[in-house]
Amino acid sequence: MNLVGVLEGILFLVGDEGLTLEKVKEILDIDDEQLNNILNKLREEYGKENHGISIEIFGDNLKLVTKKQYKEYYEKLVEYEKNGTLSQASLETLAIIAYNEPVTRNFVEEIRGVDSSHIIRKLLFRDLIKEIGRSDLPGRPILYGTTTLFLDCLGLSSIDQLPKIEKNQTEDREVDLYESKYKE
Amino acid sequence: MFMLGCDKMTYKINMPEFEGPLDLLLHLIKQSDINIFDISIGKITKQYLDYIKKMEELNLNIASEYLVMAAELIEMKSITLLPNQVNNDNDEYEEDPREQLINRLLEYQYYKDISNVFKNYESERNTMFTKQPSDLEEYVKEDSENNNQIDLNELLEAFSKFLERKELDKPLNTKITTKEFSVAVRSNEIKEIIKNKKKVEFTELFDMYTKDYVVVTFLSILELAKKQDLKIVQDNNFYKIYLVAKGSE
Repeated sequence: MNLVGVLEGILFLVGDEGLTLEKVKEILDIDDEQLNNILNKLREEYGKENHGISIEIFGDNLKLVTKKQYKEYYEKLVEYEKNGTLSQASLETLAIIAYNEPVTRNFVEEIRGVDSSHIIRKLLFRDLIKEIGRSDLPGRPILYGTTTLFLDCLGLSSIDQLPKIEKNQTEDREVDLYESKYKE
Repeated sequence: MFMLGCDKMTYKINMPEFEGPLDLLLHLIKQSDINIFDISIGKITKQYLDYIKKMEELNLNIASEYLVMAAELIEMKSITLLPNQVNNDNDEYEEDPREQLINRLLEYQYYKDISNVFKNYESERNTMFTKQPSDLEEYVKEDSENNNQIDLNELLEAFSKFLERKELDKPLNTKITTKEFSVAVRSNEIKEIIKNKKKVEFTELFDMYTKDYVVVTFLSILELAKKQDLKIVQDNNFYKIYLVAKGSE
């Protein structure tokens, strides 16, 4: 029996939902090291050009997805929002939370300069952020942090993968950053 | 930004959407092609106020945050106009309002940039397709053990067990009642008390402190007094009030 094949089948079944690494270990009854071996083998296999899918980890969630480099063909099959579905306000708020979590709503509002209660409710509802406790500040305000779904939405496997951005540096930052993702 | 059509009656408005006053300020700064570090409070305030005025002319609702920023800018500008007060004795360090504004703008710009990065990440992520989880319902194994091998007794037994369990599931019987007081009944009670005692202190009758009881008792007393079944006596202001049976004084 080859667990690599087993994992492939499992990931095919769970599809969009993905499966957490913990769960994979439980189902296959293996430890971290074995899991890594299996993942590496699967990655190596999918890395070949004659495969249309690849294996990705978002947060701690394992998923099979189609390969980016063949996207123009897959796109013919689906109609989807190319520009993403997050509004500018959502993106801004997520950026502030992701780079400073845990944060209070007040913190977000001070940076944005606008009332953000509505947008925070929206993000909570979409499961992109979650309450992760309460601050010791007066009134014990709720602290917010990002979720696995947030990482998934941006295609990141962990919060550490967020681009390091230097503050107070002007011009052309965006372009550099965008490209830096591919250099990794 | 604003393009007014040739026809006076029709406006053609093409206005970028701003996420807030800071966003608008950054836009204005970018438009006038200056570095954030080189902004002049005076100029930027004027531009900002002009913009707000235009929005007003166009009957746009201006969110209060924009007005707050307008007020802050005006305040900053007026501070810069005042002669510098020399505070020799007082070393209190006060941050330059201009610097403060610049820092806020930079901070905001920083996250705005990140949000652009996020946007790119998001659309990148959206090019990786996946599928709905497979529906495995149809493969669920029917519980088929002991098929065809159940005799009537087992079935009966199972059913009676089920009934037993069902019994436990029933809510316990309880009666919920509210005690109601009626003026008629209470009146009779009071009449009886007064008949026996001839003279009762007013407060004595309120032996139970529930709202209903107090109200009903009070109404009963008034009712009885009206019917002249009892008399209400008070010798002086703030003295004790007594209820006296009719004709016994």
